[in-house]
Parts: sequence; C-alpha cells; structure tokens
Amino acid sequence: MSQFFIQLMPWIMLAFGSVSLLRLILGPTLGDRLVALNVLSGLALGFLVIQGVLQGRALYLDVALVYDIFGFLGFLALAHFLKKKDE
Amino acid sequence: MEEIVFWIREVGASLAYVISIIFGLIGLVGLYRFPDAWSRLQTSSITSTTSILSMLLGTLIMSPNWEMAFRILIILGFFMISSPTGSHIIARFLWQKNIPHWKPEEGLKPGDNE
Repeated sequence: MSQFFIQLMPWIMLAFGSVSLLRLILGPTLGDRLVALNVLSGLALGFLVIQGVLQGRALYLDVALVYDIFGFLGFLALAHFLKKKDE
Repeated sequence: MEEIVFWIREVGASLAYVISIIFGLIGLVGLYRFPDAWSRLQTSSITSTTSILSMLLGTLIMSPNWEMAFRILIILGFFMISSPTGSHIIARFLWQKNIPHWKPEEGLKPGDNE
C-alpha cells in the first residue's frame, strides 16, 4: 500500500509543481508570482526528498537540504530587491 | 512484534501521503479560485506547510535506514523555519507596497445571494 503511494508521490509532486508554475507565469501582479514561487520551491524540495527515499540514495537528501537553503536565501534577496526597486 | 511495527509503518505512511495529496489539492484550487494576492497567500501556506510537512513525515516513517532518517529530520526542521518565514516576507512585501485588498462588487451586500 505505502509502496504504491511512494511510487505515486513524485508524479503528484510534478503535477502540483506544473500547476503552480502556470500560476507563476500567468499571475497578474508581482505578489501572485512571489506566492507561486514559494509554493514551487516547497514542492521541488518534496520531489527531491521522495526521489531520494525511493531510490535509496542519501545523496539526494543532501542536495534537497542545500536546495532549500539556497532557495530561501534567493527568495529573501528577490523580495528585498523588488521592495527597493521603486523607492 | 515485527508485524505490529510493519503495520504501523505501512498505515502511518499511507495516511500521511493521503493527507498530503488532499491538502495539496485544496491549496492549488485556492491558488486559482481566490481573487487577490492576500488570500492566495493563505492557501499557498496550506500547500507548502501542511502538504509538504506531512509528506516529509511519511518519508520519515518509510525511511530505510538511520542516516536517511536523520537527514530528513534536519530537512524537516529547516523547512519548519523557512516556509513560514517566506510567507511572512511576502506579506510584509505586499503591506509595504500598499497593494489593495479585494472588495466585493458595488451594490452587493453580504447575504444578498441567499
């Protein structure tokens, strides 16, 4: 049962990620795009973790941790830059 | 004893994945149905916190050995810090940009639809 779900979850994560990527492209204002980017970063982290557990490799989990840290830093820098831009 | 642990792992992981799928779907529907960035922020927090968090808990239950379990635990702790902080940064960005709130259309009072 859980083997079925663990095989299914990467595809679910990919589908959710593509839907939120569509919001990132469509989003009418800047705030919508930032919201979609936040969701997309979390979904990519989930995809990497479940792929690592599925293939039994701990290397993917290291990659996921570093991706999360750098994604968060990049997100912070992006919000700061967009805030400073109009002033 | 072995069988009990096996069944606890099986049922717990399946339950965590089902919760993750349901809350992810709710969050993504809200991302398209809600009218402005303020209310979309709320559903995006549902997706990124509840869905990803319960999925990480499911992989933590299913993890084959201890080194992967501790790595997932570290990722989970960092994600618990970084994801609400990201939502807070978005909210402060919207607040400082003075992005207007969504209002109902003119001449429509609450309760008119009933």
